[in-house]
Amino acid sequence: MSRELLTALREQVRRIERRAIAMHGTTPFGLAAIDRALPGGGLARGALHEIRGTAGDEEDGALAAAFAAIILGRLLAAAAGIVLWCLPRPDLYGPGLAACGLDPARLVLVEVPRDADILWAMEEGLRAPGLVAVVGEVGTLAAVASRRLQLAAERSGVTALLLRRWRDAREAARERNLPNVATTRWRITALPSQPPPIPSLAGRGGSGGWLGVGSARWRVELLRCRGGAPASWQMEVADATGSLSVVAAMADRPAPPIHAVASENLRRSG
Amino acid sequence: MIDAAGRRLIAAVNPSAVAAGLAPGMPLADALSFLPGLATALAEPATDAAALRQLAEWCGRYSPWTAPDGSDGVRIEITGSAHLWGGETALAADLAARLDRRGFACRIAIADTLGAAWALARFAPAGDRIAILPVAATRAGLAALPVEALRLDPAAVQGLRRVGLKRIGDLAAMPRAALARRFGETVMQHLDQAQGDLPEPLSPLGEIPVRRVRLSFAEPIADPADLVRATERLAADLVTRLACEGAGARRLDLAFHRVDGRVERIRLGTARPSRDPHHLAALLTERLDTIDPGLGIEDVILAAFAVEPLTVEQFHLAGASGGVASGEDIAPLLDRLGNRLGLDALYRLEARPSHIPERASVQVAPMLSPADAQGRDPPGRPPRPIRLFTPPQPIEAAWLLPDDPPFRFTWRHRSHRVARADGPERIAGEWWRLDASDCGDAVRDYYRVEDQDGCRFWLFRAGLAGGDHWPRWYVHGVFA
Repeated sequence: MSRELLTALREQVRRIERRAIAMHGTTPFGLAAIDRALPGGGLARGALHEIRGTAGDEEDGALAAAFAAIILGRLLAAAAGIVLWCLPRPDLYGPGLAACGLDPARLVLVEVPRDADILWAMEEGLRAPGLVAVVGEVGTLAAVASRRLQLAAERSGVTALLLRRWRDAREAARERNLPNVATTRWRITALPSQPPPIPSLAGRGGSGGWLGVGSARWRVELLRCRGGAPASWQMEVADATGSLSVVAAMADRPAPPIHAVASENLRRSG
Repeated sequence: MIDAAGRRLIAAVNPSAVAAGLAPGMPLADALSFLPGLATALAEPATDAAALRQLAEWCGRYSPWTAPDGSDGVRIEITGSAHLWGGETALAADLAARLDRRGFACRIAIADTLGAAWALARFAPAGDRIAILPVAATRAGLAALPVEALRLDPAAVQGLRRVGLKRIGDLAAMPRAALARRFGETVMQHLDQAQGDLPEPLSPLGEIPVRRVRLSFAEPIADPADLVRATERLAADLVTRLACEGAGARRLDLAFHRVDGRVERIRLGTARPSRDPHHLAALLTERLDTIDPGLGIEDVILAAFAVEPLTVEQFHLAGASGGVASGEDIAPLLDRLGNRLGLDALYRLEARPSHIPERASVQVAPMLSPADAQGRDPPGRPPRPIRLFTPPQPIEAAWLLPDDPPFRFTWRHRSHRVARADGPERIAGEWWRLDASDCGDAVRDYYRVEDQDGCRFWLFRAGLAGGDHWPRWYVHGVFA
């Protein structure tokens, strides 16, 4: 009797915690290691997710954009509609997106320099029917703005991806650790690639000292996850297709400082 | 009065000054000598012209075809709009009453031709504030007016008067050839225009709308809620008219005529022709906060420019490859975004068959249906970055051998040690294009490099190592 009650209560708590998931479902990454760490077995649709890079990429936003493109590719494969991508500068490159598995033809871009306008455009997009997801590259984000986006996403079922892109180191330092209400928060760090089996063209050069560039390696950290635990993985991204594969799982372990890992990795790769 | 060549001349006079014998053009000194108590003010032609233009714009409530005329008149083309006011007489009465209320002295004339109306307004017998020449009575109506009424220059008028041609009727009765020979073609042209034998087009102040709906208020409105209601009602009216024609509006102009004569406007464009009353009303009301109603608004006019045929076919923005059609229409969203952020802010990326990186992906309007995937990556092409900087950003680089990538470079005050590199990929300019020079040097050698932390950059060297110029290095993009 009491056991049944307990199960019922647990179920109730789970439902409250996973409100968005219960409402709009999830989209799996297709990687068992990541999907296991996410409640509902995938990324919650109709919720706000934050993605950011590290170091120089906090300004360039290349890693965050690529990770977002991989997610969007999966969302678009499962649903009809388009994606609205709001960005402050016209530097998103179509062929690069295509290489991450996102068809640029299903993307409408909104280019406005001000954060406030980007947030406004995102919210309008989250309210409109016919969209699969809304992406915004935002520098300064007030907690109340993130709550508005999360609520709008919950209401419409449109997934919101927030790419954090800071204009300078000062803004990065101020914003990096501020709390917000995003359902998941991801941090992507570049790791040195492993040498490819074939020596690169540059390697043939007279100096001969050049190693070729291999497939991109990332440390993907799930910093925060509503209804789940933080986790971290090492992944490899195939150049042409943007398909992810997990190289080493580090789930359920606190993320070590980036530099330690990087240097350790360098040593290992020789 | 005006300052002219050191003398002060009288520019304009009021009725009591006319009664005292003053006239425009008279030196001020003369006028003061026999009317010492004369009150004078300096003429401000620019301000007057601006006020006249504003008045012409205000007259837009009667017809879209309005324009200032000279320095003291406004032309209004009321063909086709007089019936909305209950006929020409009622329109003229309404205009006179409103101008009175605003403190303008006026003379109003309605005639078949611009020339005849001009003549009547200025030379009709005194006491007639409103002169209406019935249809097809132009010649008879003009006959009694003096020749000055033909908008002639003073020299021509003097010449005509000297030979005894004082009235337009006298002139019209004379043989044309002789007149033209003696007084020039202009006189005949003005006569013909006034009589309707020669056309005289009116160039309106602004663009002429295709469809136009108007709402007038006996009591001026100023309450925001009333403005919203008026906007919604007009949008519904306009849509009804557009629906009859199977058309949708691409550009709209909502004009608020204030009681003080100023006209406040909201202009907007839509991503594609629309005749959804709720959508149009929402776009307009969103911008209502930019409207200052002043002391009140007496007329609201909604005009549609650029009307395009609207088919019932649903728009779908589909990936050519995926073949997935969106069930919902995203045009309303794009309109809302475009009207606040500018339609230029919205675009899609489309692949183009060019090997110049910045030309391989171009921005196109979001509502154009996607072209066939023609710019697919050629097989075996080296990877492309996810962010591309336009223009490429110069870096400081250090390299050893001519065809080597740099071993170290500095960009945005950060120093990067190159650990791995691929390349070079040589991209030559499209020399057959006229503007090929705008992409810098004709030949670029691209390298994909990875720094000590694993960050990847797309660098290129402009110019050949053995060339005339010292090569320069740029970062063109970043890889994920």
